[in-house]
Amino acid sequence: MELYIHSAGIISAAGSNNTDTFPARQEADVLYCTEPDYKDMIPPMQLRRMSKAVRIGIAASKMSLQQAGIEKPDAISVGTAMGCLQDTEFFLTKMTEQDEQMLTPTAFIQSTHNTVSGQIALLAGCYGHNLTYVHRGHSFEHTMINAALYLQEQPGEQMLVGGIDELTAGSLKAMQLAGLYKDANNNGVVAGEGAAFFIAGDTAVANTVCVKDIDCFTAHDAQEALQHVRRFAERNAIADVDCWVNGMHGDERDGFYNELSTSLFSNVPVISFKQYCGEYATAASFALGLIVDAMKNGFSKYGIDKSIRKVVMVNHYKHYYSCWYMELV
Amino acid sequence: MAQPAYIVNTGLITAIGNDTESCKASLLAERSGVGKAEHLQTYWKDEFPVAEVKASNEELAMKAGVATNWPRTALLSAVAVAEAWLPYAHKLQGMRTGFFSANTVGGMDLTEQVYKQFKQAPETVPMDNLRHHECGAVTQLVAQYFGFNGFVTTISTACSSSANSIMMAAQMIGNGMLDVAIAGGADSLSKFTLNGFNTLMILDKQPCQPFDNNRRGLNLGEGAGYLLLMSERAMKACGAKPIGIVSGYANANDAYHQTASSPDGRGNKLAMGNALKKAGLQAADISYINLHGTGTANNDSSEGKAVAAIFEDKVPFASSTKAYTGHTLGAAGGVEAVFSALSLQHGIVYPTLRWETQMEDVAFKPATTLQVGADIQHVLSNSFGFGGNCSSLVFSKA
Repeated sequence: MELYIHSAGIISAAGSNNTDTFPARQEADVLYCTEPDYKDMIPPMQLRRMSKAVRIGIAASKMSLQQAGIEKPDAISVGTAMGCLQDTEFFLTKMTEQDEQMLTPTAFIQSTHNTVSGQIALLAGCYGHNLTYVHRGHSFEHTMINAALYLQEQPGEQMLVGGIDELTAGSLKAMQLAGLYKDANNNGVVAGEGAAFFIAGDTAVANTVCVKDIDCFTAHDAQEALQHVRRFAERNAIADVDCWVNGMHGDERDGFYNELSTSLFSNVPVISFKQYCGEYATAASFALGLIVDAMKNGFSKYGIDKSIRKVVMVNHYKHYYSCWYMELV
Repeated sequence: MAQPAYIVNTGLITAIGNDTESCKASLLAERSGVGKAEHLQTYWKDEFPVAEVKASNEELAMKAGVATNWPRTALLSAVAVAEAWLPYAHKLQGMRTGFFSANTVGGMDLTEQVYKQFKQAPETVPMDNLRHHECGAVTQLVAQYFGFNGFVTTISTACSSSANSIMMAAQMIGNGMLDVAIAGGADSLSKFTLNGFNTLMILDKQPCQPFDNNRRGLNLGEGAGYLLLMSERAMKACGAKPIGIVSGYANANDAYHQTASSPDGRGNKLAMGNALKKAGLQAADISYINLHGTGTANNDSSEGKAVAAIFEDKVPFASSTKAYTGHTLGAAGGVEAVFSALSLQHGIVYPTLRWETQMEDVAFKPATTLQVGADIQHVLSNSFGFGGNCSSLVFSKA
């Protein structure tokens, strides 16, 4: 795989990557997005009808297009584990409270998982390939694999790929009860949400992140996960990594990351990205955005002063893991 | 495509049968599965007929050998995957196998049962009702049960979802990333979808009449359909014979409206045209089109015009099987891929049930007479959905 990431548009709890303060760390038990001023990106009439998932998705995609100097992409691929929760919950609430009576279509229409990718296509007039992946903690990774497959068949085209998940009161509560997100008893991890979109192509351009390999796997214990990461490192002959980015997040999987930092990545500068964006299924898209941003604006904001070429990212969401190998070219 | 993805086996469950063979028997008998809901509990059960799978969750769980507390979509998926996969599972040791599934509302059938209670007292809701809410969770239940631990994904592009999972699987076999793929999708009926489609006023109160001038809307259905796809190497290794190949595919977007198709079917035309191009075929090479044909005024008109634009005055046999199975949403592309495979295998053209009156704005007449043993070389299958998603697949004799 050689997927060149030409630009990034990020909306996150740490702000947007078109501001000087990005990433700004928030101290909170729940990390909601700091939303940008949408007025230059989305017409107000349309904005009013958009749920958070749709508006952060649309705005992040516009930011990435703008940065790449592209009006519309040739193809679109979006990853979202949870889809449009706000509209889903709205319709579910009305349906159950009103005993299936007197329902209106708007929330249902906007509840489908492909709403964001469809809306981007609609607003940009993009008639090309359009997919939405909904595979839990691998949803965003699969858009990258999709992009690689697509560009193999349509070389030279520009594809918009992105990850988006929104947090709602209902989903936060359900995930707290399930033991994932931090609750009143301080069990669990800091919940997050966000949208990060990218323009990806198969042609090398200076000053881009080239994604060389992605491995997605599930593992139910640290040893199994470590084995996968080691095999990934071998497969890519990773010896002299300049920086590793990890999804360490203060849960029972910290041991897995600690093990990596003392073995495979000992003495390698590290960025732990979930302190900025919180935990969510498509948080890997935030991490990729952070790397694209750091390449343009410097790694020094993470206390790294050496020049960076080879980067490995290791992430997990529950028992869904991914390893990424990237070169900054 | 570097190497073809061979269709080796199929798995199917719909309102007209619990496996491929029984669905085929119903198709040949022109037997529709549309009727009054027995398992779906809804206020609207007397108002809107549906094409429900004729089995309770307990019966489905027993058939698949899984737990009864799975979402119904996962149960349907497991039944169909078992049919496609199990006869070959033991012959495919060491092969790189991927599982590509699709659905639209995940475990919604369980979520909606407790949602009112969840809003009032979330702590009292059994976590089992919410645990599998995500679309991906449904796929993962099935993947774990069958031991698929390689590439596993879930696609959700509304009514075109499982056509896209077949497309991605064919690509990954095509470029040598995988040897074997189980690809398709599943969706069960839910109150959420029934009420949602009702707000759009596109549900038919009678059994639907696709491509009829007096059509009134669609009947929702449920089911699961999967293809077992293999590279030539994998197929030879297990001594299998191909039913056909996935010769072409294309995905396009109509970019017209979130829930409606453009009047001239721009996305539909792009999907069909590009799929033909991918297959290296001319329109005249297609022997049968399995239309999306939902029975709504909008779809059939847009799709009909797009078909006419591509095939001009030489439209081949074309029919919609939704009058048999209802619209199975995220499963439709998978279900109809199996129907397309059966068409290739046995030369079947499915008659469009209940067709009476020629559409005014579409010149061609859908197939209304059953044919068996016809010369079917290439089948085009359409799946179009909300969000402007349009996908077409081409299946050819190997």
